[in-house]
Amino acid sequence: MVSPFLSPGLVSKEHDLASLHLRRDQSLPVVLSTEVTSAEHVGYAEGVVTNTRFGSFPHTTMIGVPWGSQIRASKVDTGSRGRKEAINAKKRKAEVLEQSQTNSQNGESVVAVEAASSGFVHLLPPTPENWTISLPHRTQVVYTPDYAYILHRIRARPGSRLIEAGSGSGSFTHAAARAVFNGYPTASDSGSEQQGTAAGDVESLGKVFSYEFHAERHKKVKAEMVEHGLDGVVHTMHRDVYADGLLVYKDESEEKTSPEANAIFLDLPAPWEALPHLTRDRRDGTPSALDPNSAVHICTFSPCIEQVQKTVSALRQHDWLDIEMVEVQHKRIEVRREYTGLAYEGMRGVNPYAVDVEEALAKLREVERRARDFHAGSLADRKPANGGQQHGGGKLPFDGGKLVHRTEPEIKTHTSYLVFAVLPRAWSEEDEAAAQAKWSKHVTVASNVPKSQRQLKKEAKLRAKNQRQAQNGVDNGNEAKEAIEEVMEEAAGSTKE
Amino acid sequence: MAFATIQPFQFVALRLPSESIRVEQIIPNSQINLGKYGSFRTNQIIGRPYNLTFELLDRSEVQDGRELRIVSAAELHALALVEQAETEDAATPQTDLEDSGARSTPKSNVNTHDDPTNQKLTMAEIEALKQDDLGSGKALIEKIMQSHSTLDQKTAFSLAKYTLRKHKKYLKRFSVLPLDVSILVDWMMSDREFARIMEMRNEAVALVGCWANIHASGHDYLSPPNEPSSRYLVVDDTGGLIVAAVAERMGILHQKDLEEGVSKTREEDADEQPEQPEAVLPHKDRRRHYRQSLMSAPSNSITMVHANQQPNLGLLRYFNFDANNPTPSHPLYTSLKSLSWLQLLEPESDITYQEPEIIPPEELAKAKSNRRSAYFRKRRRWERVKTVVDETRAGGFDGLIVASYTDSVSILRPLVPLLAGGSQVVVYSPNVEPLVELADLYSTARKTAFINTPQEERRVPSEDFPVDPTLLLAPTVQTARVRQWQVLPGRTHPLMTSKGGAEGYIFVATRVLPAEGKVAARGRPGRAKKTRAEESTKVPATATDGELSQSPLKKQKIEAEEAFSAQPTLASLRVEPTVEPMIVEQNGES
Repeated sequence: MVSPFLSPGLVSKEHDLASLHLRRDQSLPVVLSTEVTSAEHVGYAEGVVTNTRFGSFPHTTMIGVPWGSQIRASKVDTGSRGRKEAINAKKRKAEVLEQSQTNSQNGESVVAVEAASSGFVHLLPPTPENWTISLPHRTQVVYTPDYAYILHRIRARPGSRLIEAGSGSGSFTHAAARAVFNGYPTASDSGSEQQGTAAGDVESLGKVFSYEFHAERHKKVKAEMVEHGLDGVVHTMHRDVYADGLLVYKDESEEKTSPEANAIFLDLPAPWEALPHLTRDRRDGTPSALDPNSAVHICTFSPCIEQVQKTVSALRQHDWLDIEMVEVQHKRIEVRREYTGLAYEGMRGVNPYAVDVEEALAKLREVERRARDFHAGSLADRKPANGGQQHGGGKLPFDGGKLVHRTEPEIKTHTSYLVFAVLPRAWSEEDEAAAQAKWSKHVTVASNVPKSQRQLKKEAKLRAKNQRQAQNGVDNGNEAKEAIEEVMEEAAGSTKE
Repeated sequence: MAFATIQPFQFVALRLPSESIRVEQIIPNSQINLGKYGSFRTNQIIGRPYNLTFELLDRSEVQDGRELRIVSAAELHALALVEQAETEDAATPQTDLEDSGARSTPKSNVNTHDDPTNQKLTMAEIEALKQDDLGSGKALIEKIMQSHSTLDQKTAFSLAKYTLRKHKKYLKRFSVLPLDVSILVDWMMSDREFARIMEMRNEAVALVGCWANIHASGHDYLSPPNEPSSRYLVVDDTGGLIVAAVAERMGILHQKDLEEGVSKTREEDADEQPEQPEAVLPHKDRRRHYRQSLMSAPSNSITMVHANQQPNLGLLRYFNFDANNPTPSHPLYTSLKSLSWLQLLEPESDITYQEPEIIPPEELAKAKSNRRSAYFRKRRRWERVKTVVDETRAGGFDGLIVASYTDSVSILRPLVPLLAGGSQVVVYSPNVEPLVELADLYSTARKTAFINTPQEERRVPSEDFPVDPTLLLAPTVQTARVRQWQVLPGRTHPLMTSKGGAEGYIFVATRVLPAEGKVAARGRPGRAKKTRAEESTKVPATATDGELSQSPLKKQKIEAEEAFSAQPTLASLRVEPTVEPMIVEQNGES
């Protein structure tokens, strides 16, 4: 199955996950469907309907439309459905569901929808970012600023094989799947993948191995991956990684294979307990969980400094290098217009103070004058021309006031500490001897270089020239001649294509 | 993977004991000079794994032609491991073998005085020692340490600092790191002109990549030909850093077939298909195998719009790609497309977009060979430019990433309409002001005013609406900063100093397709009358009927909203603060 996260296409399709954008920071993940499959969707004349505070949205209005479309709410009779349900209260829910399914198959109950007078949502394709803000929380969520930095630093790239221990709520899982994705396994690939004999093309496919020790959370993540079409990219496992390690197997009797990971993210309470399972040499003869052909980057995610200290000392003991600890401080900036001035008096969200001293003076003069007039007994003009009054019911101009920005009212001052480290690939004496034998003498690299022969020649010439220049000091005549040559060659080179 | 071992002609980052980074190309059969740390021959590291630390061996220590020694991890961590053991021992009252005396009276810096006579070796003596064959500096450090008279008075802390300092000064070590975007940014940040990449830190690079939803397209055969995917539009004034970062996330930055293993399988493949004439001329034909034409990738491509006639992609040379002289075997050869603003906005004024006149074949046959090749070259260039310009103008891109000193409003105006619905717009700026202005142009209030303007009076660009505010949804401005810590036994704290400079902000919004005709938002009935006009875009409604609370997702939403309460909304000026709690209450009751 193709995932709407990775290949949404141009228009929404049935069974796609969509993100209904309600308002800022609020979106509703919905699987688009025309078939009533759960009790909560039973009873609508329009088929499956999603209700939001901005109106009701039959899924028929959201399937087959371009992503990003603004969708109008429809007139949906939600009231009589509630009453019907009350009547059917005695009936078992499953029965009702069944009945409605047969109805919808017959095409009887689905009626044409009519647009409501107000209300809309935006239909957005799912992304790890909008999923992260709308996902059902099961554990603490790894938010975008953290996972962005982590994935960047552990070099999760298309084709990487990434271990995630602690699937948790699945926000990191989605982002990791996007990062490593470089193709869906074909049917035959996934078959061999299950047997654990990943070979040929599959090896170059990016994959996420996600471990979770909480049975229920594992089940939910697994179901989510199927629902989101990511089951080919993410391999979820129910596992206590402290005790049972990170090899891939279905049950104890089966042969254990290595995920061959080159990027690791540990969101565990005690990462140091998982580290003994992440070494190059396994004393017990089981294969290493790490990619034998490349360096492995790791990140652990711990909220407490004590966890960090234990993790770091365990990393040192297990030969990890370049150990680094950071925290990511993320701020969102609120952009708004600040309205100051007596002219805005009486309106909400403004500063009813004088915009400048002149305005203050003018007001004081006015007050003085009125006081004088009052004492003089001329009560005739009781109604002074107050600028604020005329604005009272009006609206604030979108381009008035002063444009200001500040940090959003609430910030996450601490999410977790991130510990990074890298483990180079194993390098034995024999390897070194082989490399030594291959490269010790003067070698000629003919093929398989990143550049064409012509490019290499040109670069070599340039280098030689620079060296000569450095030796000769200032030798203008020669230099000028060479410069001309250089230009000529460049021109010839660029036209050759 | 791209970085299994160090390959000839790759660029690598060399980290020196002083923590500074040098970027060098590994040219076989040559030498790399590390200044005071000495020099080494490149053939001594080619074929070896990355991330290892090498020590330059002294001439007397060279065995079997090995001039470098791989320093083990235990050796690199020696100091920290010893300290760790000490602190753990200190916790349990056990006598240590070496300094049980010192343990009874804990060391402190009470008797430490800054006295140059503490170091018994004179400068001249140290220099003389250096000249002696003392190998990699370890012996030298030892000597210096021994002759420091107050060494036993030093606290563990100052001792660690002292040894580390000495190490940095005299150890002849270096680590070889693969040059990727992350290291490149580190290097630019610490040792190069940071302003050249608009002071873009790794945290900003990471955020831009995620928010722009950049990812590989996967197999080409899965996406139907009329639905290409992962096409990104880029405006890059960072000399190619943005392009490199985007390409890295799409898997088209690093050449993978440099690795021995991969190249071998390819050769084997060629052998298996003898019917192709590759066996005769293997070199030439392999090249033809790559030889897809420049800028021809339908999917998984980056389209760069540049202000000069040629794009400035200087940094790509560290990934062995020269935009002016592209290597056909590099994945960017087909996937990186570039066009100038002139070609995009006024193609008819651009000479390369005009079709060169067609010379009939019979005339061409008579022409001189260089004239003939010039003719075909011109034709090919025209075809390429025309294809790139036409497909760019057709739009449907999956994301727009901008990092430019040019006014971002003028960049977004023509480019946002070229995006497919639901794609992300991300603008990076070292300073916040340009992004604040941008966010204001897409503010809810301005959008409302735009919608309320009669269709025939709407003008874009105009003074009030420099861009069409309805095309982008939920603009946000954000920043992230990483704070580094030192983690050592008993001495864990944030680093005392770090680099200041530009904070680095990003603007994120989603391209949407506004519905045709008038669209009214569902507002609060109570206030609707009073502020109807203002609220006609998006304002929370109170119409929460009983059914809503039945959906568990909905409930989640409300809870999430509680957590997010008082989020900044551009409409916050007129959204009553009481609205949200009220809804929460209503749902809580049911």
